Amino acid sequence: MRSGASVRTTKKLWDTMLQYKYFYLMVLPVIVWYALFAYAPMYGVTLAFKTFDYNGGILGSPWIGLEHFQKIWTDADFHTAFKNTIVISLMKLLINFPMPIFLAILLNEFSRNTAKRFFQTVLTFPHFISWVVLAGIITDMLSRDGVVNQFIMALGFESISPLTDKESFRPLLYITHMWREVGWDSIIYLAALAGINPELYEAAEIDGANRFKRLLHIAWPGIKSTVAILLILHVGQLLSQGASFEQIFNLYSSPVYSVADVVDTYIYRTSFQIGGDFGYMTAAGLIKSVISLVLLVLANTIVKRMGEEGLY
Amino acid sequence: MKGFKRFGFIMVGLALMTGLLSACSGNGNEKSSESENAAATNSGTGGEENPYKDPMQISVAFWDVEAEVAKIENDPIVQDILKKFNITIKPVNTTWDDYGQKIQMWAASGQLPDVFAIDAIGTQYQRKWVDQGVVAPLPDLTNYPNLAKYFEAPDIAGLAVDGKQYTIPRRMFPSTDWSALDRVVYYRWDLAQEAGITKEPETWEEFKVMLDAIVKADPEGKRITGLTSSQVKMLGGLFWLYGNPVATSDGSGADFKWIKEDGKFIPAVFSKTALPALQNMKDMYDKNLIDPDIALTSPEIAYDKFASGKSAAMLSGGGFINLDANIQRKRWANSYPDKEISETVKVLKPLIGPDGERHHAIFKTYWSESYFSGKIDPKKLDRILALFDYVLSPEGKTLLTYGIEGVDYKVEGDKKIMLETKALNEKYPAISFLRDLVAYETADRYDLSNPSISDVGLREEAVEYIDWILNNTKVPEYDIRLTYMSTPTKDSFTVFDHDDLLNVMLSKEPVEQAWQKIVDGYKSKGLDKMIEEVNTKAKEQGIE
Repeated sequence: MRSGASVRTTKKLWDTMLQYKYFYLMVLPVIVWYALFAYAPMYGVTLAFKTFDYNGGILGSPWIGLEHFQKIWTDADFHTAFKNTIVISLMKLLINFPMPIFLAILLNEFSRNTAKRFFQTVLTFPHFISWVVLAGIITDMLSRDGVVNQFIMALGFESISPLTDKESFRPLLYITHMWREVGWDSIIYLAALAGINPELYEAAEIDGANRFKRLLHIAWPGIKSTVAILLILHVGQLLSQGASFEQIFNLYSSPVYSVADVVDTYIYRTSFQIGGDFGYMTAAGLIKSVISLVLLVLANTIVKRMGEEGLY
Repeated sequence: MKGFKRFGFIMVGLALMTGLLSACSGNGNEKSSESENAAATNSGTGGEENPYKDPMQISVAFWDVEAEVAKIENDPIVQDILKKFNITIKPVNTTWDDYGQKIQMWAASGQLPDVFAIDAIGTQYQRKWVDQGVVAPLPDLTNYPNLAKYFEAPDIAGLAVDGKQYTIPRRMFPSTDWSALDRVVYYRWDLAQEAGITKEPETWEEFKVMLDAIVKADPEGKRITGLTSSQVKMLGGLFWLYGNPVATSDGSGADFKWIKEDGKFIPAVFSKTALPALQNMKDMYDKNLIDPDIALTSPEIAYDKFASGKSAAMLSGGGFINLDANIQRKRWANSYPDKEISETVKVLKPLIGPDGERHHAIFKTYWSESYFSGKIDPKKLDRILALFDYVLSPEGKTLLTYGIEGVDYKVEGDKKIMLETKALNEKYPAISFLRDLVAYETADRYDLSNPSISDVGLREEAVEYIDWILNNTKVPEYDIRLTYMSTPTKDSFTVFDHDDLLNVMLSKEPVEQAWQKIVDGYKSKGLDKMIEEVNTKAKEQGIE
């Protein structure tokens, strides 16, 4: 039997929902979309504990418990891919997370709007070129006949081939990622900077604060909470977007598999080239997702402890 | 009077209509009876009811099939053949980049088309398709005599699972001798001569000297590189020929061949003779005789490089057919309008290796295969098999290769003389598709009267080349049954030797060390266990 307090709470909630019915109606399509396309397909995760049967499909395949996870434990290729995922993601976070903040602050310092817009447009543009096209351009530029090597050789140095060199492939990933995304990622910080009351800058200027002091005491506190939220989001997506499948898949080749094969590319290659069990591959993907979730919770907790508002 | 006039018009109109209808129906009947007769003749059921009277639509997944099917409307030969079997084709497109993924996804979601093309023999997923009924077994082939004959070749017959065939391999050659055509090296003989080379290379040493001379002399001033390749997958087909020819594979990862070494069967890739072959390749790379960008190559890039004089030699699949189609017809005239390709470019004859023998690559006699959905209606399967049987029949082959007798060619004695001067593929744009859907039959194109290689100079050279191969090279011994053998570890074991070759080539470590790391990697994936299983099973089956 439900207590009187519980009934009252439900009634109160219902009354509130009725009162804001139009808002709820507006959010309904989003909820339906998430339910249909984000949550309903999650039943596919069960495949991690099954061996795939073509006749039974995902639901009808037989359960095999933790067999796939036990196999993964001894799979040297998965270990390499997992290690690469962590290294590449963390390095991208370290290198590429602060860059858009610096860029936004730098652009914000432009007193002339035309120059600001020009640089912003130029730097944002690469984001709209797909990795497939970019990989073609990069490969072309770095080939022996490409502009980079022609320039290097004209200076009397040996030609380079970072696309097939284990030592330079990862730096190439970081640099090309930064080149493509730094402009786009800085937009949100620019918006946050634009939201700061200009009177604060004026007052600080009158009080004798130089550019650096204004940046430190006005601009940075103004965007700190945005930085915190974006950091949590980045950490949550670290293992998937950090080790971007599209970027690596389109740029790598077998000589650099040992330093570049991340979990997503490993799953793809094993599924479609070697023909591994779909269940095994789902288990590999699930491990990655669970670790992403743990990282997200950790990042959120740390940010909250630092006094900022978390994601939840 | 007015009424009479109207009546007259109506009567004339009716008479015209009747004439027109009867003319139409007369044509239709004739065609229909022709078709019935042909179909009846083909099916061997003369005098019985036309077995193809009900129209049938079949869905076909084949590379770029949408574009190929669109060409049928301009191809009277293919139209007639399809009419004969009362078939219309519903294209389900795949491309060279996505066919593997698409077909595996369709198989997983139960959406496979009636017939589809893929190279899956020996892979884990193909075994599952057979075990779980994803693909249909072929029925008794008595009614399809040409198809039945097709399955007599040992490496095709050996594909049966529990006595049943599940696939129709797309045959290329009548025997593995012809595999020599599937990994050939084209080289610039004109540039070699300009660089001071007077003799065509016969040994690996001479080949390397020739490449070195061209790269160093760079006669056209284009900063020419050494050997390039149309795909990384091709690498094993050349470099293993230095003393380890049985290791050559088609790149699928599942077709590795076995040899007996120290009293035990082992995959040829892991033979003692692998190291000298790898060392030879590494030396070539280190001495700039191999394109430094070879790891990132693709067919289009390689053809462009070779045809524009930026590469001294090119490793390619498809032999003279690709030399004709992708270099001669598409590119050569732009770069060298004044040079005859057949006099400028030569195809490297298999080189004499360290053992004093001339070896060429050895693959299966087919590449890729047709499967039929496990859900296919037996009547539909019967109709498709009848079509396949016709394409493989002497009549079908002749029609799809030479066109129509009296129109496109005439017969003089035992020879066919082409009457049509333009390429048949232009006149009948879908004949290649229909032929390739069933079997490539590449060997047929190495005949002087066959117009598939359009450049007559190249055609003559091609015919001479294969004759030379058949007379001067020998295929080393190996037992294909071991390649097809199924054991628990072997079923999930792949050997991408081209990746391994590339890794050794680009490694900064000494060859021996780099190779040992690769072998250790395979050992961690169960190499020793697989060898043990295969040897035990071979003993049980009496394979020595």
